[in-house]
Amino acid sequence: MNTNPHLRLAVIAVVVVGLFSAMFARLWYLQVLDSNSFVAAASANEIRFVHTDAPRGEIRDRHGRPLVVNKRVEAVTVDLAVLADRPDRDAVLGRLATLLDIGRPDLDKRLADVRHSRFRPVPVAEGVPEHKVSYLAEHRTEFPGVQSAIIARRSYPNGAIASHVLGYVLEISAEKLQDRKADGYRLGDGIGQSGVELVHESDLRGVAGVTKLQVDAQGRVLRTLDHQAPTPGHDVYLTIDLEVQRLAEESLLQGLVVARGLRDNEAGKAFVAPAGAVVVLDPADGSVLAMASYPTYDPNEFVDGLLPERYRELIDDAKGAALTNRAVQSGYAPGSTFKLVTAAAAAERGMIEPRTTITDRGSFTIPNCRGEQCVKRNAGGAAYGPVNLSRAITVSSDVYFYDLGARFWLEKGVGDGMQDTAKAFGLGSKTGIGLPSERSGLIPDPELKKRRHAENPAAFPEGTWQTGDSVNMAIGQGDVLVTPLQLASAYATFGNGGSVYRPRVAARVADRDGRTVRDERVTKVRTVEVAPAVDDAIRDGLVGVVGDRDGTARSAFAGFSAFSVAGKTGTAQVAAKQDSAIFAAFAPANAPRYAVAVVMEEAGFGGSVAAPVARRILEGIAGQPPAPVTASEGVD
Amino acid sequence: MAGTTAARGLGAHAMSRRRAASAWRHVDISLVLSVLTCASLGLIMIYSSTRTRLAEAGTDPAFYLKRQAVFVVVGLAVMAAMALVDYRIFQNRVPFIYAGMVVALLAVLTPLGVNRKGQQASFELAGFQLQPSEFAKVGLIVVLAAYGSLHGSDLDWGRVAAAVGLAAVPVALIYLQPDLGTSLVFLVILLGVLLVAGAKGRHLLALLALGVVAVIAVVQLDVLQDYQLDRLTSFLDPQNDTQRAAYNLNQSKTAIGSGGVLGKGLFAGTQTNLSYVPEQHTDFIFTAVGEQLGLVGSGLLLAVYGLMAWRTWRAAALARDLFGSLICVGVLSMFVFQVFENVGMTMGIMPITGIPLPFLSYGGSSTLAAFAAVGLVLNVHMRRFA
Repeated sequence: MNTNPHLRLAVIAVVVVGLFSAMFARLWYLQVLDSNSFVAAASANEIRFVHTDAPRGEIRDRHGRPLVVNKRVEAVTVDLAVLADRPDRDAVLGRLATLLDIGRPDLDKRLADVRHSRFRPVPVAEGVPEHKVSYLAEHRTEFPGVQSAIIARRSYPNGAIASHVLGYVLEISAEKLQDRKADGYRLGDGIGQSGVELVHESDLRGVAGVTKLQVDAQGRVLRTLDHQAPTPGHDVYLTIDLEVQRLAEESLLQGLVVARGLRDNEAGKAFVAPAGAVVVLDPADGSVLAMASYPTYDPNEFVDGLLPERYRELIDDAKGAALTNRAVQSGYAPGSTFKLVTAAAAAERGMIEPRTTITDRGSFTIPNCRGEQCVKRNAGGAAYGPVNLSRAITVSSDVYFYDLGARFWLEKGVGDGMQDTAKAFGLGSKTGIGLPSERSGLIPDPELKKRRHAENPAAFPEGTWQTGDSVNMAIGQGDVLVTPLQLASAYATFGNGGSVYRPRVAARVADRDGRTVRDERVTKVRTVEVAPAVDDAIRDGLVGVVGDRDGTARSAFAGFSAFSVAGKTGTAQVAAKQDSAIFAAFAPANAPRYAVAVVMEEAGFGGSVAAPVARRILEGIAGQPPAPVTASEGVD
Repeated sequence: MAGTTAARGLGAHAMSRRRAASAWRHVDISLVLSVLTCASLGLIMIYSSTRTRLAEAGTDPAFYLKRQAVFVVVGLAVMAAMALVDYRIFQNRVPFIYAGMVVALLAVLTPLGVNRKGQQASFELAGFQLQPSEFAKVGLIVVLAAYGSLHGSDLDWGRVAAAVGLAAVPVALIYLQPDLGTSLVFLVILLGVLLVAGAKGRHLLALLALGVVAVIAVVQLDVLQDYQLDRLTSFLDPQNDTQRAAYNLNQSKTAIGSGGVLGKGLFAGTQTNLSYVPEQHTDFIFTAVGEQLGLVGSGLLLAVYGLMAWRTWRAAALARDLFGSLICVGVLSMFVFQVFENVGMTMGIMPITGIPLPFLSYGGSSTLAAFAAVGLVLNVHMRRFA
């Protein structure tokens, strides 16, 4: 290198210019090119949002009795996020276990419980005594991340009662959070999963409070920039009557237990009677007074979350699918209860006069039929002799209705009359009740049969509607499927003179002080015209079912005096299963205030087990001490 | 050229007075102005980055401002004093300067010194901390300049080694405090002075190689505390938030970057006000400038430092002798390295080490030493004809 100091100074100058250029370049990059991302980072730095959960609204019955409430419990919680990075994590948890007297393995198990949100402090103990809570407060530094707090927990004071209607709440899932982020949901929030908790989520939820805080680098709060108090969720008042609901659930279970003690002569074993449903409606406006489904579950079990294996068990058909609300989510063959529809359809189209009799010799031969199953017989092989419309209903003459069914297919000008009337009564389509996953049921017709065959010939080998299809349909067999709610609604419709109301479980939404925010409207969907003479004949027949000495539910209602009851038994055959026992009724017969449908899977005759369940419910409603359900005689 | 002009034909006494008077006429006003600009901006920035925290603590929000103002005033006096007498009188007194420096650095390691934040680096004097290492920088500049001017023409391996030895003693003592950053400043001063004094290319390469080996050894041999290593390496991986140092660096970059072109305005820096940035009024003072005054303000500040560097470089080029020239080179090396290291670390292009930004960072010793260094440059510059 040259010894000239000036040349050497030039080297220094080059280095200095280089270093300054580097600084300018970097400054340009930070403050011009990439400035926006730093602006965002800076504002995220200084503003923190603290959310306060809004108390979720409560659910009450029609008289204001609590069905779902929030219980406030003093709980000790552990914030795992705080403890995660601390070297003394183990020591802290050790001290806490000692203080709470729960043992370290127990504490670890509670902390590891997957049902708890990872984004919120985990409750490890509840109902902690006062002196321990104060000890925690006074020794805060020894227990980082540990807090005692009043936490609100969903509580179902009546246990499993009405659980299918009420539904339950779980922490929002990651996928659902993506969809609902715009609605203000955050990680760890609860969200209604079924029943009223799901349908009325937006009413019940309320709006979380937000406190906007300015914080410094240590997270110390410098000042509160904005505070919005949480808006509590609204309360939902149901049309359900807690006492009727309780009565319905008890009676259903009793009926199923009774059925299990009866022998199924066809199968050569006792009835399985695994499940069933009951619906009680107010025919005047479609309000649901009770909706029972069995098997059931206790939503209190889900308050801290639902384990995946338990959830699989609850939706497993082989284990009873307890989460299914059979009243609206299961379709059943209605059996003879469908004869109400067949009768109304035929009379309305002038196919019969109420007083016309036919002779029931116990069997019916399907016209133009070739093959083995062309002769159909009454249940139990009975022959009822000359029967008119009323009598045919009272004794449940299949022959009378087989004949009508055949005529619906063979006579001109009546079209799909049975189907049309069934649909007018609300069968085979969703009622629009405010409950999730309602099934529509099915009212089959020639068109449907053809379409099904075309789409899947293997499963539906026959594509042409036969006379026998109409014959089967006339007594509620074949492919006819209705939900217990539809059945109750159809009987309510007939009972009230033809008004079809959209069933409802929620009556009104009210604020914390009970002031009505919104009324759930009563909606009349349509009117079914039934001529007075026809109405009288059918009504007489239904009253006879319960009151006549040949009535199929006479024995079940023996000694019942609270109301005049109009009902119909049904015993539906189900492929590869034992018969379903069904009973549908309304009472009092001439100005009904209650419509009841009882459906019991694999439980035998409607008259022998389903009708007694309805009897007990009506007895209880009437204020009489309900006697235990017992098996009655009955063939249909 | 420098060092060749002789005094002409006047009586000794009168001549010395006349010379002194004329020398003051050659004071580099632009250098003085640039220093004053930096020091004034420093006062504003120190106030802006400490007032909120102090007010919150219930103390005088102008506490640091007032103290720094005292340092600046005393610093101006020190600068004037350092320019007062001809710099050449230091040349013969170099052994005393060196001895005083080493003794002070030794003494601070004894119980006479106080330990703050894990560093044994200062004496406590009437409520003020005196950091001998800051003054030792200036001392070493003078010592190395004298040595370089003596042996500039015949620098061989032995003499280069001797220069390294001269620097190594204070470096080692400062490293023991421990203060890695200031040790590095000494090494840069050594490199700069040796380069201009006439060291051969191979000498400098060998020195650089030695430095690299030393750094690797220090890192590898676990000599550094974990936190020191974290701080040094965090700029390589700033996304790694688990490191406290990386957090600091991200906050620092966020402060500067969010300032944008025009800045958030004086006293309107949220990062600054909420003390997100650590050591805001000392090592990280540049973030306060960047956030509040933006690219315009921080760019102008760098430009003023550039002006300061140019004037110092120019003084080195105009100096009447090699001693004066090397003093200026030493000061230039010191300032440029400190500015680059300090500003660079706040922007994430240099490792984080505790080096103050001259005239901006709060601190008595560093401020006084910086003024003293500028005083020396003024001294050399104004006596370029004498």
